[in-house]
Amino acid sequence: MRFERWIYSIPLRLRSLFQRDAVEHELDDELQFHLEQKTQHYLDGGLTPEEARRCALRDIDGLELRKEECRDARRVSRFEDLIQDLRFSIRTLRKAPGFTAAAVLTLALGIGANAAIFSVVNAVLLRGLPYPNSEQLFTLQSNQSLPDLEDIQRQTNSFAAIGGITKPALDFIGQGEPVQIYGGLCNAELFDALGFTPIVGRAFSRAEDSYGGPALVVLTHGFWMRYFGGDAAILGKSIRLSGNSYTVIGVLPREFWLPGRPVDVLASLRVVDPSAAKERGVHFLHTFFRLKPSTSIAQASAEMGIVDQWLALHYPEDNTARDFTDIHRRLLSLQDAIFGDVRPELLVLFAAVGLVLLIACVNFASLQLARCATRQREIAIRAALGAPSGRLIRQMLTESVLLSLLGGVAGLVLAALGVRLLMTLTPADLPRIANTSIDTAVLGFTFAVSLLTGIVFGLVPALSATLFGVSAKLKEDTRTTAGGASGHRLRKFLVVSEIALALVLLISAGLMIRSFVLLHRIDPGFRTDNLLTMRLQLPEARYREQTKQRQFHRELLDGLNSIPGVQAALVSELPMTGDYLTHNFVIEGRPRLPAGSEPEVQTRTVAGDYFRLMGIPLLAGRDFGPQDRTGGQHVALVNRAFVAQYFPGQDAVGARVDWARSDPPDWMTIVGVVGDIKHFGPSEPEEPAVYDLYSQTAQKWKRWMYPTIRGAAAPGALLAQVKERLWAIDNQLPVTQVFTMNEIVASSLDHQRFNLTLLGIFAAVALALAVVGIYGVMSYAITQRTNEIGIRVALGAQHSNILWLILGQGLRLALVGSSLGIVVSFALTRYMSHLLFGISPRDPQTFVAIPFVLFTVALLACYIPARRAMRVDPIVALRYE
Amino acid sequence: MSKPSDLVQGTLDLLLLKILTLEPLNGFAISLRLKQVSGDVLQVSDGSLYPALHKLEQEGWIKAEWRPSENNRRAKFYSLTRMGRHHLGREADNWNRLSAAISHVIKLEQA
Repeated sequence: MRFERWIYSIPLRLRSLFQRDAVEHELDDELQFHLEQKTQHYLDGGLTPEEARRCALRDIDGLELRKEECRDARRVSRFEDLIQDLRFSIRTLRKAPGFTAAAVLTLALGIGANAAIFSVVNAVLLRGLPYPNSEQLFTLQSNQSLPDLEDIQRQTNSFAAIGGITKPALDFIGQGEPVQIYGGLCNAELFDALGFTPIVGRAFSRAEDSYGGPALVVLTHGFWMRYFGGDAAILGKSIRLSGNSYTVIGVLPREFWLPGRPVDVLASLRVVDPSAAKERGVHFLHTFFRLKPSTSIAQASAEMGIVDQWLALHYPEDNTARDFTDIHRRLLSLQDAIFGDVRPELLVLFAAVGLVLLIACVNFASLQLARCATRQREIAIRAALGAPSGRLIRQMLTESVLLSLLGGVAGLVLAALGVRLLMTLTPADLPRIANTSIDTAVLGFTFAVSLLTGIVFGLVPALSATLFGVSAKLKEDTRTTAGGASGHRLRKFLVVSEIALALVLLISAGLMIRSFVLLHRIDPGFRTDNLLTMRLQLPEARYREQTKQRQFHRELLDGLNSIPGVQAALVSELPMTGDYLTHNFVIEGRPRLPAGSEPEVQTRTVAGDYFRLMGIPLLAGRDFGPQDRTGGQHVALVNRAFVAQYFPGQDAVGARVDWARSDPPDWMTIVGVVGDIKHFGPSEPEEPAVYDLYSQTAQKWKRWMYPTIRGAAAPGALLAQVKERLWAIDNQLPVTQVFTMNEIVASSLDHQRFNLTLLGIFAAVALALAVVGIYGVMSYAITQRTNEIGIRVALGAQHSNILWLILGQGLRLALVGSSLGIVVSFALTRYMSHLLFGISPRDPQTFVAIPFVLFTVALLACYIPARRAMRVDPIVALRYE
Repeated sequence: MSKPSDLVQGTLDLLLLKILTLEPLNGFAISLRLKQVSGDVLQVSDGSLYPALHKLEQEGWIKAEWRPSENNRRAKFYSLTRMGRHHLGREADNWNRLSAAISHVIKLEQA
């Protein structure tokens, strides 16, 4: 029944909507026909033609009124009204191109910035991890060894799969130069835990993932495309990795993603590195626990607790020991583990960009208010002619929403550009950010924001114009003295809030800038200029013996130091790269501690004249020298932090230390103390560290090194010379992570720079918007007061009086706005304390300087219209309006 | 009188539908027929006829088409739809029940 009705009504309504002229025409024809017939009817009845016509018309009883009633009967009222409103809005907006451009641009800035940041938030926080049912995935705070993981697997029943992976560097001779790639050495369960299956071929099975199993490798999509052009024929072929052959059995989908460093190939840990895999003390596996759907996290945690105690009991030296037992096997949702750190940061940015939008909206409302004031007569006349105020409000809302949607579209364009800019700025450590794109969620967000903006910030001016202004307006004399009082009060309120909001953003940006400057000024503890660094890793197949490794170190240093004007040394962990290695250690003569609970220190191994080259000062004792040779007395240097922690007020030089449980014992005599460096980045304190020598260390697995090369030549030219010397010694060695030390220091601040740049941009936009807002309101106020100013001048007011009259008004607004902004900032900035360094979130300098800047700028924005007011010619002014 | 305010709500619709059951008619012919069938008791002005017709058309109870009238002028002819027929049936039943009930009440008063 309903449906049948639609068959008739829908075409009719569509026709009423889109063929208005034809429908109108038919209506005329129909009534005309009636009139003619009726006239004829009366003529037949004996009336004269005029009388007949008059009677026919009388019977109709108001032709136009009837037509309107017919139209009403046909009206698709709400929708048609909307179309009508839209048409009207487009027409009026076209007539005011300046206003339209200003409004759209203002909103585009606000909405665009929001859409850009939202797209990052969406990619990083909302879209979640690219794993099926990723809420079932958990990880452990600390890394695990494979034997421990096997025990956990055996003794728990809560998990569908438990994966573990470590990511060592591997050599791969692709095309030409040897390159370093990252391997993912894992167990077969990893694929089940993450929920990925290869798109080509297969993953290795649990049977193949065993000691002495076949040498198989699964490629990631990127690696497959880069080196094999996506050729499926690669299956079954073998590739050489770090001197061994592996058969390719599968390729993972493009979506495969691991937290942290990406890998190029995946292989079985048990097959590739059986000795490390069997070692219970080697805690090098990142873990992924997939909960069974039927199991609760509480059950799983309880089970983990039991296993943990069991492990502590059976393998005390590898377990008790890491004296944070209670947390180290606590299950942590993978989401939190990955995004926990970035969430508050992104939320600060999101809040900041929200403030920008709010300021843009305030400007938008204020622009509309100004426009309403100039249109007040039009509105009043329309109201007087019988337009219901609801209809008027709806019309003005349509206009406002149309503007905000236009702003949204322009904002999307800005957002697309902004996202591209963001991608060039983003720090590598923001997980999942590479996935940022303008997707449906971003589009939906932008649409919703635009719509809301248009409605909320269009409603205020619309209401104030229709409800408060109308009736008074027609009665009001055209020669107004100070404009509509209520409208003006609203505009003042808007300006004050705008200044306050802008100040909050400016203070936040100011705090960031201050911290950034402080971070930059920090002395890293070594010289960073003219220092080229790179990473080398000697493949195990060819450098298993330490004699070979040491020969390589010697030859490399000799080769590099023979380049004119160049000094070179080696270090195992370069500062600020994020690399570090720790060992438990013991001090000779101190009471023995239970195995596993010995203190940990940072361990760094060097070769050559490292400390002199780096400019790290020697504080006590002596530096390493030529007398410290392989086979001689083993020696070590310690840093100031080490002395402060373990030899407070004593002389560390001469004491002996050893790595805990080294077998046979390998006592090293501390021969000197060196200064602390900012190893972990400018904002982090140095930890106690022991430096030993490549030529003396017993750790033959330490096959990696960073050559540090100081030379005045351009880095590019220097690198070519370095490679030449290096490959003269071993032409299969990849050179990776080539950076100047200055680049490394700069990139250690990437994160701060990212936050700072964004907040800086937002603050600048906010300032610009606020200035435009103040300027707009002041100009408008002056236009409204031209008349009054004319009278004042005519009565003998001096230019300066007029100037101060206007400036004073602006000053009051700026003062109220700034005070409010300071109060709000004072309350809010503590939420960004985690982004700051070296200053308090209520840093007094910032809280004084920034409001001063804003105040000055606001004053300037008032000064320009004030000068115009000063020049008002009383004659012209009195004739004004 | 501009509106058939003395007509019970919906009565005009009922009359128009009833008139159109016999044959398709144009507006003028309907107005004549209306006068004819109701005598001078129900005064429906020509003016209120057309909005009512347009409303019925929107409801899907009648449909309109343009065709030549007797004197070869193009006129808009209205005819009943299937839905209109149903509607008329229902409304007529309602009317009968209502008028019977009311006349019953009035007779009681008189008795």
